[in-house]
Amino acid sequence: MKNTADYVIIGGGISGVTIGYFLMKYGAKNVVILERDYLAAGATGRCGAGIRQQWGTELNCLMAKFSCEFFENAKDELEIGDGIDIEFHQGGYLLLISTERELAQTKKNIALQNSLGIASRLLGTSEINEIAPALSTEGILAGAFHERDGHLNPFHTTQAFARAFVRLGGIIHTNTNVSRVTTDRGRVTGVDTNRGHIATDCVINAAGGYSQQVAAMAGVSLPLYSVRHNILVTEAVERALNPVIMSFSLNFYCQQVPHGSFIMGRTCENQPRDLRVTADSAFPVAMAKTITRAMPPLKKLRMLRQWAGLYNMSPDKCPIYSAAPGLAGFYTAAGYSGHGFMLAPATGQSMAELILGHAPTLPWPRLGLSRFEKGDLILEPSVV
Amino acid sequence: MHNSLEKTGIPTTAEVDAAFPPAERLAKGPVAVIECFQRIPCNPCATSCPRGAILPFADINDIPEINYEACNGCTLCLTKCPGLAIMVVDMTWKDKSGLDRAVIKLPYEFRPLPVVGDDVVALDRAGNFVAMARVVSVLLNHSMNKVPIVSIAVDKQLVPIVRSIRVDVRQRAVVCRCNDLDEAEISAYITGGTTSIEELKRITRLGMGPCQGRNCVPIALGMLSRALGLPIDELEPATYRPSVKSIALGDLAKYDDRGDGLP
Repeated sequence: MKNTADYVIIGGGISGVTIGYFLMKYGAKNVVILERDYLAAGATGRCGAGIRQQWGTELNCLMAKFSCEFFENAKDELEIGDGIDIEFHQGGYLLLISTERELAQTKKNIALQNSLGIASRLLGTSEINEIAPALSTEGILAGAFHERDGHLNPFHTTQAFARAFVRLGGIIHTNTNVSRVTTDRGRVTGVDTNRGHIATDCVINAAGGYSQQVAAMAGVSLPLYSVRHNILVTEAVERALNPVIMSFSLNFYCQQVPHGSFIMGRTCENQPRDLRVTADSAFPVAMAKTITRAMPPLKKLRMLRQWAGLYNMSPDKCPIYSAAPGLAGFYTAAGYSGHGFMLAPATGQSMAELILGHAPTLPWPRLGLSRFEKGDLILEPSVV
Repeated sequence: MHNSLEKTGIPTTAEVDAAFPPAERLAKGPVAVIECFQRIPCNPCATSCPRGAILPFADINDIPEINYEACNGCTLCLTKCPGLAIMVVDMTWKDKSGLDRAVIKLPYEFRPLPVVGDDVVALDRAGNFVAMARVVSVLLNHSMNKVPIVSIAVDKQLVPIVRSIRVDVRQRAVVCRCNDLDEAEISAYITGGTTSIEELKRITRLGMGPCQGRNCVPIALGMLSRALGLPIDELEPATYRPSVKSIALGDLAKYDDRGDGLP
């Protein structure tokens, strides 16, 4: 293992590999990604990997739009060969609206989205029936739909970024655990790993659910916590659902991946915040009740497997792209609050601009740590 | 006596010769060849023939007798004989390839069925290799009593010898049946640097189908063990996750919200 690097990224999930890729793309050299296990072993490989551009703030709309457009062009941009399929399915995202309050907010969101070039629209129940015949529209007032939203395969997408990063000269060390970030007089000097020390003056914390622990190794305190979210997968069947279905008020999301499986999740109460990703026996029952009410034909579909991953929560449920006050050379990209996968290309672009001192093309200056001290939070209405 | 049909199940050359139509009849066009050697209570061949070419039985135990002049080789009786004892031989088949071949139409109940154009192994009455034969037709429709008829073109000299075929299936060692992954695919990932069962699972979906790894994971661990030169018990095992056995969402929904009670 080479013992020096210009940039060390901690974390081989989707954020780590996108940051690595964009750094290399914009001319950085000697970029190393350190991953404790293997690529996408953490939250990335456990997520639903849905992407939507239907947000309620300009900031999130712009970042999500950038990301979706990146995924649309990923095959060329990342030079993905025939050996890999990121399984990008653009069947749209259908947000179900079941309360008047949601309806009023959705109308505002759609006006904002349309003004930013996101062609979302409000659907009546008959249009909902056409787009998703399996869905029961009982208790549903309307839907918000954007047909360019969709989902990807998180493992293969991470692999595609990783290969592009390596092709540009980046180095990835898997099974490499960082135990300490070394500093000297307010500057980062390197990282200690189970495979030796790497001297560097720039460390990027992209450790997902473990971001606050990694920051603590450098003596940096982040206003983040991680909470367990559950998800399950069914047997594979022929395509019966095209869009991702999501509802804030009914508390679920559900999608059918190209392989044929349905993947679904919901937010459960009383989830541990101690980095545990063990199975919650109450989740599949609650999920089954929710989903069979929303989509009655799914009663016959068989669940195969449940698992869990960590949402890395920030105070305003928006990401942190930031340098660390008081520690030069330490950067953090974390706190996605459940949206890290869909925002990953924006994460890579933003962090590369931030670290390399480029002019911002995305609104990342708004996402610094200073917003929490100033009480200048981002008020995003469209988060779980 | 020890080489007799009763001992081996294989008719002697003399018995086959006796079952064959005379050369003059063979030269006229397709005709049925009935190799029914044993008196048993069975007569569907006679009742199936619309031309009465297979003569009516006086006793249901009779061995069929055929009027070769009435038979036009239509193959109807092939699909009715429970013993698959009848075939049709056409020595007048027009061989467009310029070879001197005849067509043998065989009732064939094994799977997979060959497709037209396949080269299959032609077998003799003992199941031994005779030659390669080209499949020229495969018939199966609802009127055929679930008995497909496979027609093969073989050298005319071999007509008295060939009585069956073997369809060789492409050799493919399937590791994961749920997601249809074979040994070659898994090996390629292992050689490419995917050296843990968890990574293999995530990239290929191995172990995550309806069997939940019961069949494929031990096989894949064995492959990893051989590739890495490590004993299998030193490898990280795969994570098994609830519900272990698949369960319909409709059934799950009947349980109370704690997930531990009865419906």
